[in-house]
Amino acid sequence: MKRLFIFAFIAGLLAVALAATLWPLPEHLRYRSITSVPTDGGRQEEFVIHWPEDRIARPGEKGAGLPATVAVGAAVLEDSAGRRVSAELFRLRDTEDNVIGVASRLAGTGGAIADPGRSASNWLLVIPSRGALFMAQSDVQDTTVRERLTADGPVALAPAQAAAFWTDRPRIRITAPAPGGDGPATTGKVLRGTSEFAGLRGSFTETWDLEEVHADGSTRGRILLSTLTSGGT
Amino acid sequence: MRALVVVLGLVLGVLAGAGLILVNPLAWLSGLPPLPADLAPAKAYSWNDYRGIEGGVGDLLGVARRNRDVALMDPTLPHVRIGIVVLPAGEGAPAALAVKVSAVAEENSLWRARLGTDDYWNIFWPGEGSVFANAYSNYWAVARDAFFATLVGGNREQMAPSYPVTAPPPLGEPAGVTGASGRYAGFTGEIREQLYLASPRATRPDPDWAIAIKANPPPVAVP
Repeated sequence: MKRLFIFAFIAGLLAVALAATLWPLPEHLRYRSITSVPTDGGRQEEFVIHWPEDRIARPGEKGAGLPATVAVGAAVLEDSAGRRVSAELFRLRDTEDNVIGVASRLAGTGGAIADPGRSASNWLLVIPSRGALFMAQSDVQDTTVRERLTADGPVALAPAQAAAFWTDRPRIRITAPAPGGDGPATTGKVLRGTSEFAGLRGSFTETWDLEEVHADGSTRGRILLSTLTSGGT
Repeated sequence: MRALVVVLGLVLGVLAGAGLILVNPLAWLSGLPPLPADLAPAKAYSWNDYRGIEGGVGDLLGVARRNRDVALMDPTLPHVRIGIVVLPAGEGAPAALAVKVSAVAEENSLWRARLGTDDYWNIFWPGEGSVFANAYSNYWAVARDAFFATLVGGNREQMAPSYPVTAPPPLGEPAGVTGASGRYAGFTGEIREQLYLASPRATRPDPDWAIAIKANPPPVAVP
């Protein structure tokens, strides 16, 4: 009986060792990277976000009954001096429309961040199977989400989701051009990457494309993030 | 009687085996020293407003059930958590709005005492500037202590009240803080996170966290 117990005990130990060796720990699904190499070098990759459907809403948050231009999942923080920061969460797609990760856009105004009437914004792109990209830019105008009080409480309103924003254009490049000089033509900088993107730096531009205006004054469109990166410091 | 002995032996063997794996000394060796509190005061925050995984051991092992109310149902996102965080004002800094993304690390290894997430931050202070940060958070010590607390009576009071979770990235790649805009553009630095478990009698369901960031301005170029 004692020998049987020892055998069973050792079998238990071995079962744990086997499980620890063979346990299928989570891995992230990966789509093929859609990159290209421009003629003058570098690594070009475009990322797409559709609004409003790619916005990541908070748990239990519903758009029903709220203004059609509400940006679900967004948050706004404003200090007593009127300096504002807004945060938006999105699903991130490749150019074949596959959801490949998540993205956040934080934009801020005032003080040391941007000139009056403008904002500076950051993009955090996280592709779980590949790593993350950290990107920052100056915007051509104030692109922060605004907060408005409604009967259901405060709601966040994104400028691009309102038809009034698009009166005279179907497309706008949000990234401000760089001041004159020999440097890149855009203020959009890819500051750093992790994992597969580690060691990459470069530039990017953010463009908003209007695709549809609804009868209720809301819009549908896409955000295009075009990155151009290369290795080295 | 023989069956009972076999079952007892197996169960004790499994528990002993799990205990031996969990007390892996690598878990004690792989931490990072805390940042000096005077240079990098810790900011407490809650991360209850999120979508995706809860972030417990079950999620890290891939065995947790998906909560459809908060889960991200896209095939590429079952092991991701994303949410907006408000970091409180204090210690000379205003409140900040931040986004934190955690993805279960593919480099996790049960033999190497690695059970964690790759964490990514973007923090924006109104009127001041913004930074990005990334780090690897290892929850091995939390899992280990929870296992032994369960063995000796199932009481969370027998666990430490908080755990420093930031650890060196498994592949040795760069981690830390990168200044993005405003007065923090060009800054570089380090990040540490601390997990505060909810006490057994607490009404709140989720743990609290604290983040400490130490960042330095870029070196001044000498003409």
